[in-house]
Amino acid sequence: MTTTLDRPPAAPPRLRRDRRRWAWGLGALAVLLWSLAGAGLVTGDVLNPAGTAQFGRFASAALSPAVDAEFLGVLTRSALVTVAYAAAGTALALVLGAAGAVLVSRTTWGRRRAGWLAARGLLAVPRGLHEAVWGLLLVNVLGLDPWVGVLAIGLPYGAGTAKVFADLVDEVPRGAYRALLAAGAGRPAAALYGLLPPAAGGLLSWSFYRLECAVRSAVVLGMVGAGGLGYQLALSFASLRWEQVWSAVYALAALCLVADVAGRAVRRRLAAPPSSTRRDPLLTTAVAGTVLLVGWSVWYLALSPASLVAGRTAEQLAYVLRAAWPPATDGGLLRTVGALAVDTVQMSVIAIAVALLGAVLLAGPAARPARSSAGRRIAGALLRGGLLLLRAVPPPVWALVLLFVLLPGVLPGALALGVYTLGVLGRLAAEATEELDPRPRAALTALGARPVAAWLYGVAPRAAGPVLAYALYRWEVAIRDTVLVGLLGAGGLGALLASELATFDWAAVTTVLAAVVVLTWLVDLVSDRARAALR
Amino acid sequence: MGARPRPPEVPCVRSPAPLQDVVGIRRVARSGGPENLIRPVSRRTFLAAGAALGAALTGCGRPTASPAGSAPLRIGAIPDQDPEVLQRLYGTVAEAVSTGLDLEVGYAPVTDYAAAVSLFRTGDLDLVWFGGLTGVQARLQTPGAVPVAQRDIDRAFTSVFVVHAATGVAPSSDLTALAPLRFTYGSETSTSGRLMPAWFLREAGVDPQGFPGGPGFSGSHDATLALVASGSYQAGALNAQVWRARSEEGAVDPAVVLHSETPPYADYHWLLNPRAAASTGVPDLADRLLAFFTGLPPGDPVLDLFGAGSFVPVQTSDHDRIEQIGRDLGLVS
Repeated sequence: MTTTLDRPPAAPPRLRRDRRRWAWGLGALAVLLWSLAGAGLVTGDVLNPAGTAQFGRFASAALSPAVDAEFLGVLTRSALVTVAYAAAGTALALVLGAAGAVLVSRTTWGRRRAGWLAARGLLAVPRGLHEAVWGLLLVNVLGLDPWVGVLAIGLPYGAGTAKVFADLVDEVPRGAYRALLAAGAGRPAAALYGLLPPAAGGLLSWSFYRLECAVRSAVVLGMVGAGGLGYQLALSFASLRWEQVWSAVYALAALCLVADVAGRAVRRRLAAPPSSTRRDPLLTTAVAGTVLLVGWSVWYLALSPASLVAGRTAEQLAYVLRAAWPPATDGGLLRTVGALAVDTVQMSVIAIAVALLGAVLLAGPAARPARSSAGRRIAGALLRGGLLLLRAVPPPVWALVLLFVLLPGVLPGALALGVYTLGVLGRLAAEATEELDPRPRAALTALGARPVAAWLYGVAPRAAGPVLAYALYRWEVAIRDTVLVGLLGAGGLGALLASELATFDWAAVTTVLAAVVVLTWLVDLVSDRARAALR
Repeated sequence: MGARPRPPEVPCVRSPAPLQDVVGIRRVARSGGPENLIRPVSRRTFLAAGAALGAALTGCGRPTASPAGSAPLRIGAIPDQDPEVLQRLYGTVAEAVSTGLDLEVGYAPVTDYAAAVSLFRTGDLDLVWFGGLTGVQARLQTPGAVPVAQRDIDRAFTSVFVVHAATGVAPSSDLTALAPLRFTYGSETSTSGRLMPAWFLREAGVDPQGFPGGPGFSGSHDATLALVASGSYQAGALNAQVWRARSEEGAVDPAVVLHSETPPYADYHWLLNPRAAASTGVPDLADRLLAFFTGLPPGDPVLDLFGAGSFVPVQTSDHDRIEQIGRDLGLVS
């Protein structure tokens, strides 16, 4: 109790009618309506009720997954591959991120803003492409080498990590750094001893968060050919063996759960470390265990640096680059790219709106309350399990099964992404609710407010900010995922990319990739400004 | 070295941070302070690097690196029909080829048509079961590649057009009736699920890309059947072999009815990489493979797996027409 009282009171959220927020709100609404109109919701039929039987076949198979020993053996071996890719990919991302952070931090560039902006812009390229796109491109250069999967995770994650690491290091108090500089230390040494130690907690926390994400990415990579659980899932999916698909989904959900729980434990501990100055045994174990896991992954995948510098790699890289440059610029292609870019944006907007709506509705029930009845606890656990399954079924699978009950167009892909993003956003929103100050709600309840009213006035106003910020952040992710859904058949720029890749029209591939990168960059920019307006 | 920096320097980080930077202070506090974090991390990072380096140096026996003469024959297949059965049972094929040719054989899984073509070009796959169109793509990207054998049924392969019963479109050879329907192909570069149906549609005066809302690409023959059964797409095209197999199993939804079957064309075949003879150290590899495949006795498990009566020789020129059509439709560049 005393600790709570000792804490300086957090500034209450100021109630202000911010014009900028109104503008953003109205703008968002307009974009949503425009997207829904584009998806045909306003003008015509979108439902296909006749397909419920097909959808039912998918849904009912969830209760009878394939459990024969042989298939389970296949899944176990595949899960090992997936874990190995996730761990090795994350490790590479951290190495690249640490090196990249030096390149893009304000500390490095100081007042040279143009250089800093250029370096940041450079990062947008690897970050703007989905892991699966990287996988498909790298296969053409590295063939069957396991580096394909590791690089496909490591490159985009590394660029993202570089940005976050740079921000973390830039935000750390500068006192020690300046003192070291003043004492005559060189800039590298001063940064190493003055900036890195205080930023270490944040860096570690982010690293574990990325490891969780990498498990899901490794599965998606499997779906485009890198092996592991995703590969088994893709095989069964192609023949619509739903029982096997569900077994793979459950295996993936279990992996995600382990990664989530372990990652969360570590991140919690980092956020609230025990007071003793001794080394924290939990963190030491986690870091040592992860390092061992990475070592095992490198061995298990038989990664060898030699294949990266082999003559064949250079030869194939030259082959692809020769074919891919200059990009195709014929009018027809550019018009198609423009039209599909609009589709892609609309898909991502609908997806994020669906996910946000669902997350707001589910955040309360899915959060772990401090004190509650057993029934409430069980319902919450079931709901969290449901959210886990939503994000364990890869978006391309959602796209196909939703296409059974919806007419073709933008909507099936958009809803598929929405359902998947709900799985992620619902969990983030529930966690944001848990971390809120419980007192306003308790006070309202004590005054006799009904639960709904207490939630509406005690929880919702304070959760809105973080949840909206998460939603905007997920929108950036969703625009990349839109390409993935399209890649496996649901329209937008991804579908065009798939078709150009299938016909080996490399010049057109370059054009589409450039469009994807620019689009992702624009969405990042808009989302960033919107989040700034929320703060 | 760097891992154990002169420790006395580290504590000076704890000197009071500027008070105005509130966010920053909280971050430092939450990070658990410098002492109990940064040193373990950096030391273990070095351990990790050491472990990685160690694992890398031991080599771990990568198959691709062996120079010439003793590398295994790596076979693969496009993920076309029953990919999960094929890919999981490919051990059978690998074993049979291995015994038949007295050669080490490895099987590499592929989930994507284009990836199979790329892997053939990069030399990761020596012998691949390609469709007509993917085979042409692979041959054009890998000069010197030779078709080895095809199934008896591949000389005159066909596709079928199916429609949803509710459309009321009666079976007929007139493809123009399909033009106003929502239509889906299979995979983008599938010969039987895309190329040839599109070609015969065009021959009949129907724009193969002109269906309402644009044609769909279901991704597989089975997905085409399921999507037409659901009615989301009202018509579709798929491999006739899959259609017959599913019909015999009774696995076809009664809502899906046969509209028409295409005229025959040449389809699947085994394609051999020109580098394979050198890497495996078998100069007459193509001839021995042909002898092996054509010599399989009726009822052999490999033939069963492929749904074939026998394997027969194939010439490059057998697929000239596919190449021409691919160019016409913009699928071969």
